[in-house]
Amino acid sequence: MQRLPDRLTETRQWFGERRETLSPFYLAALLLGGLVAVLVVAPLFWLVLRAGTVEPTRAIELVTSRRTVMIGARSIALVLGTTVASVLLGVPLAVLTTRTDLPAQRLFSVVIALPLVIPSYIGAFAFVSAFGRHGEVGSLLGLNLPQIDGFAGAVLVITLYTYPYVFLGTRAALRSMDASLVEAARSLDAGPIQAFRRVTLPQIRPAISAGALLVALYALSDFGTPAFMGVSVFTSAIYMESEAFNVGYAALLSLQLLTLAGVILLIESRTGRASGQTARRRGSPIELGWLRYPAMGLVGLLGAVTILLPVGLFLSWMVRGTGGAVPSLAFQPQHALNSIGFSLAAALVASVMALPVAYLGVSGRSRLGRLLERGTYVGFAVPGVVIGLALVFLGSSTAPWLYRTAPLLVFAYVVRFLPQAVGTTRSALEGFDDQVAEAARTLNAGPWRTFREVVLPEIAPGVLAGAALVFLTTMKELPATLMLQPIGRDTLATMIWAAHGSLYYRYAAVPALVLIVVSGVSMLVLLAQDESGI
Amino acid sequence: MSDADHTDTTAQTGSRDRAWSRRRLLGTAGAALTMSVGLAGCLGSGGSDPFETDEPQGEPIDGEGVTWDDLGDLEGELTVYSGRTRDQIDPLFAKLEEFYPDFSIARDYDSNEAQLNSLVEEGESTPADLFYTQSSGALAALKSEGLARTLPTDVQDAVPENKRDPDGEWTGASGRVRAVQFNSDTWSRSELPTDIFAYATDERFAGEVSTRPNSGTFRSFIVAMLELEGEERTREWVRRLLEDQDVTLYSSGTQQAEAVANGEVSVGLGNQYYAARIIGNQPDAPLDVTFTQNDPGSLFNVSGVAVLSGAEKPNLAAEFVRHVLAVEGQQFFVDTNGEYPVVDGVAYDGPLPSLEALEPPSFDLNELGDLEPAIDLLREEGMTV
Repeated sequence: MQRLPDRLTETRQWFGERRETLSPFYLAALLLGGLVAVLVVAPLFWLVLRAGTVEPTRAIELVTSRRTVMIGARSIALVLGTTVASVLLGVPLAVLTTRTDLPAQRLFSVVIALPLVIPSYIGAFAFVSAFGRHGEVGSLLGLNLPQIDGFAGAVLVITLYTYPYVFLGTRAALRSMDASLVEAARSLDAGPIQAFRRVTLPQIRPAISAGALLVALYALSDFGTPAFMGVSVFTSAIYMESEAFNVGYAALLSLQLLTLAGVILLIESRTGRASGQTARRRGSPIELGWLRYPAMGLVGLLGAVTILLPVGLFLSWMVRGTGGAVPSLAFQPQHALNSIGFSLAAALVASVMALPVAYLGVSGRSRLGRLLERGTYVGFAVPGVVIGLALVFLGSSTAPWLYRTAPLLVFAYVVRFLPQAVGTTRSALEGFDDQVAEAARTLNAGPWRTFREVVLPEIAPGVLAGAALVFLTTMKELPATLMLQPIGRDTLATMIWAAHGSLYYRYAAVPALVLIVVSGVSMLVLLAQDESGI
Repeated sequence: MSDADHTDTTAQTGSRDRAWSRRRLLGTAGAALTMSVGLAGCLGSGGSDPFETDEPQGEPIDGEGVTWDDLGDLEGELTVYSGRTRDQIDPLFAKLEEFYPDFSIARDYDSNEAQLNSLVEEGESTPADLFYTQSSGALAALKSEGLARTLPTDVQDAVPENKRDPDGEWTGASGRVRAVQFNSDTWSRSELPTDIFAYATDERFAGEVSTRPNSGTFRSFIVAMLELEGEERTREWVRRLLEDQDVTLYSSGTQQAEAVANGEVSVGLGNQYYAARIIGNQPDAPLDVTFTQNDPGSLFNVSGVAVLSGAEKPNLAAEFVRHVLAVEGQQFFVDTNGEYPVVDGVAYDGPLPSLEALEPPSFDLNELGDLEPAIDLLREEGMTV
């Protein structure tokens, strides 16, 4: 039996070490955050329910089979490869656009961030048709280009469409950190690389790891790209089983995937957090000299490959294609309005729900709070088809009046994408100076008033950035939308799916271009918000 | 009435009664949410079944060719979960809505498999009245989950037993056959074998043959092969394709047919209609189809319908099924989709060889509902993407 003081310490670790974290405000946050976490994790209990329907011997056989082990290994390799490549691409690009005298930095930042608005399944399709064995780029140039497919192809495509998570976070961190420290280091004869490693890196590491976490979980949950590239990973196995009506097996595989996600979350939580850093002074930029031209060329090439390629492909579809008219596939403005409406709602709900969760993550070093915050990330790792089916079951059996209505669909999006809002809100809270809030408190402002009038305006850019991320990923979401959309309320993504799946490519072009433009606008909001934080 | 008009009307009528409670639920969430409430749109069917019994509302349907004018008038709204794609089925829905101004269909599109999984999770509380799918395997699986209703006897009698469920819980609506797509620059039809096993053993096809193992019809084809040829031969076929022929596996039928047209792989074992559509878009594409004879490679399968046990309007749904099996419905499949009619009284006048000339193997389509042995075999041999 434990002695009393030990148990007290333990309790404090769970609920927070500092006395003020046991304040009514913190407890309210704990309650709210706990509610949010339980809500978004609840659909996953369906997995346990369905996995339980598999006969135990069969389950063990399935889980330990050579094929499952291979799939697991390949999934891990895919996650590692994509994450490492995204960091190697995203961090230097963030430095390039914030710390150097690269011209037209805003424009280049937009170009670099824009691939995030393009669904990776569309990217994968564009790459395969452009660089396949008889791809259009190869035939255009009369060259036999290396074919992009298989494992390397999947890593490449997922990286090219998710590295902006690392780029955006790192860029924001670089902009808000105190650059005079770097100058101090330089004046003490530290080389630029050493100064970066010893001064800058420790400060931006939390932002990098937060971005890398999103990349890793995205890579784990992506179905379209590995399927297109012909790589068997957990998601493709889950799809295969669910398409073969073996929902129990699919659930079992999803639980294995979740275990992997848990390991990723654990690793990320060990990478350490920076202390609050609010001084925002910009140092003098690194002079690129002649290097600016290759740098600009590289960014231009990246933009051409990730954005112009798919856009060009859609445009070529629009002009080509002479087959008969299919009225049911024709673009209607209503599809765009549906997408925008659902995405705005998801962004709003996710931002609000992220507040208490992010607060728990940063304040008081409480283990319970941290656990709840981490818990909200699991939805991002689970393929949309699993969340979709879980909510089909829970929605139709427990809340038929909500089933196939907009609120339940929006809830599905929140379950999937909440972590994007939690991450940015959390970073903003980390950068917030506690002393300001305490000053307000000493002036007798109540905690709610302090929050509303002091904290919220300060972290608003981060909250808005999170909302923008949720908005543009919701625009792209497909499987859960197909399962839970109010019947007949098609979105841009479902229309792209319909047109592409039935080979009427030209009908996919308009919704795809509209999707890219609308998401692109939200990306501008995201970047502008980030600029105003200076 | 255009399709666009239709969607807008259903949106308005469907959402009105529930908008208020949703508004209250979302409370203070503001403009964005109000927007989504406005956009929430049609919520299942609403209203009740216009008919009291599932007996014929006008003339009964039969195998001789009954027209829409003979049948009872459709009215109210029907909710259909469709595993068929819009281009293949929406024109029929639109045609019926045009024919009956008081009738509308709330359409929900997704893949066969996703629809079936949703139906299983929803059980009796499904908002759908009908499941419309392109694979009898999905219908047989629906039946085995106890989610389908027995169809009226006149409907059962109208369709030959090999094109419907012998117990009458689902019926075929149109037929299709598995085919061999080929690049006509590389092959002429006479060079190609009419035996599905030759594609796995003939050295000429090493590196040249492709298939799409994640499709419903491919799985049905493997189930049929297991049933007709036995496990050993089927396993051998799969293994040889993988090991000797280095078969290319696609995850989309589109991708596969295009690859055949591009000459990337010159033979594709798949559905004939993917090829038909590419030729429709690019008439000069070097793409053609041929069929194997009297083996699983030319399996005849049906798209079909089942009235759900959880349907709110089973009687309206039954009358709808009669319309699908009537002359206008059957002719639609021939004209629009290049499919075969399932009712003997409707003559096939499409561009493909007649079913008699094709010699598909005879096969009980309900066998297609149990996919497990086929999936196990494919998983074990590694023919998956």
